[in-house]
Amino acid sequence: MTKRQLVTRLVYLLVAGAAVVSLAGMGLLDPVEIARAVARLGSFVGDLFPPNPTVLPTLARAMGETVQIAFVGTLLGFLFSFPLAFLAAQNLFGITVTGPVRFLLGIVRTIPSLLWAVVFVVAFGLGPAAGALGVAFYTVGYLGKLYYEAFEGVDPEVVEAVKSVGGTRLQLLVYAVLPESANALVSQFLFMFEYNIRSSTIMGFVGAGGIGFYMLGYLQLLQYRNLLTALLLTLAVVMAVDYASGKLRALVLPAVPRRTRS
Amino acid sequence: MEYRWALEVQDLWFSYNGTADVLRGVNLRVEKGLLTMLLGRSGSGKTTLLKVVKGLLKPQKGALTVLGVPFAGERKSASREVAYIPQNLGLVRNLTALENTLTGALGRSGPFLSLLKVFSKETVEEARECLALLGLEGKHQEKAYNLSGGERQRVAIARALMQRPRLILADEFVSQLDPVMGFEIMEMVREIARKGVSLLITTHEMGIAARYGDRAVVMKEGMVVYEGTPYEVGEEGMLELLR
Repeated sequence: MTKRQLVTRLVYLLVAGAAVVSLAGMGLLDPVEIARAVARLGSFVGDLFPPNPTVLPTLARAMGETVQIAFVGTLLGFLFSFPLAFLAAQNLFGITVTGPVRFLLGIVRTIPSLLWAVVFVVAFGLGPAAGALGVAFYTVGYLGKLYYEAFEGVDPEVVEAVKSVGGTRLQLLVYAVLPESANALVSQFLFMFEYNIRSSTIMGFVGAGGIGFYMLGYLQLLQYRNLLTALLLTLAVVMAVDYASGKLRALVLPAVPRRTRS
Repeated sequence: MEYRWALEVQDLWFSYNGTADVLRGVNLRVEKGLLTMLLGRSGSGKTTLLKVVKGLLKPQKGALTVLGVPFAGERKSASREVAYIPQNLGLVRNLTALENTLTGALGRSGPFLSLLKVFSKETVEEARECLALLGLEGKHQEKAYNLSGGERQRVAIARALMQRPRLILADEFVSQLDPVMGFEIMEMVREIARKGVSLLITTHEMGIAARYGDRAVVMKEGMVVYEGTPYEVGEEGMLELLR
């Protein structure tokens, strides 16, 4: 056995050992505990059915608020992420500009939207405004990164060609970077909206509006049939938004072929 | 400004990483109003030389005089009259032929109105004329990704002409076109040279260089090893120089 093979086997053994210790520590290797958990889960699932349609009008209003939180949050996030992405793109600016902007985007992205929502609940009080701002901040960090990567992915020759005619950085953005990355920008905006619809459903957990407020309440009051109704409504809306944004994507984005020579 | 040489390069050195020199003391002169073909094998430094001349790369050492203006000083104003056509043309696929052509006028357009894609009537008319001159009358509104290779090549020339250049630098200009299309494009380029525009075109095709070049420059391993007329050495001679 070579030294390399020995090291590889040792690494495998260490990983397997760590996995076993972790699973045992959590009680996931105890068959009695697992059997009890399955039984409790069965009882919980039994309590979920049938869903309760009488709460639907209340939930529909709350769901509308959730969609609004996602929409406003995504839109605000887009508006702020765009100029930041422009300043963070290394094919447009030097490291003295891109470095601090990327650092800022990294910090914003590290904090999840739920935590941002907590911050804004403190600032603005309970309600959807805090949720929308929480979603917006997370969107800035996330879309900012996706957008500067899209900008940097533009063919360097296109950038060079516009630079070489004496174009300013803004002209470079309008005439080379934006048209070349437009499809990615639209696609990522729609993806972010879909993602934000999902993440907005739990904004209510911290009092930041939407259907999450009711979900948490039903869970705490053990009203599992109502909880299932809320979950099914959320599922239906998420699927509808996914479908609609898929259609919108196909409508907005032309099928631009890859660069080919003929 | 009166000048004899469209481009004068003296002892030019360039390295991408600071250790391996891509250009090693290049000396070169491009005569005003002539079509100069720059030959060399892949990796000989042709593209790098064009980028340094255009000001896209900064050389470590050497003197450069473009259109009679030294490298330091009024570099920017001289640079606007130097058009550069990259190897893959650098056209924006999502813009139309007309929009791509108009980008050539960005350097002399108002910085704010052009951001809204607003150009003067005269500029738009000039762009249309450039496209018409190159046989693209009916293709103004065609997106670049819908154009054939030859048509894209012509749009790139039109964009260069919109700069009202006195020197055009073109990289591996016709190497990816079929021979007939390549000759057609070179005929157009020769017409442009006859109007007093100086051209420096890189190629690895000796046939094109011999047929169209007023002058030929051969580069090898980052240095100029021949400067003269193509017929002085002939295709065989050039092949020997390239080896």
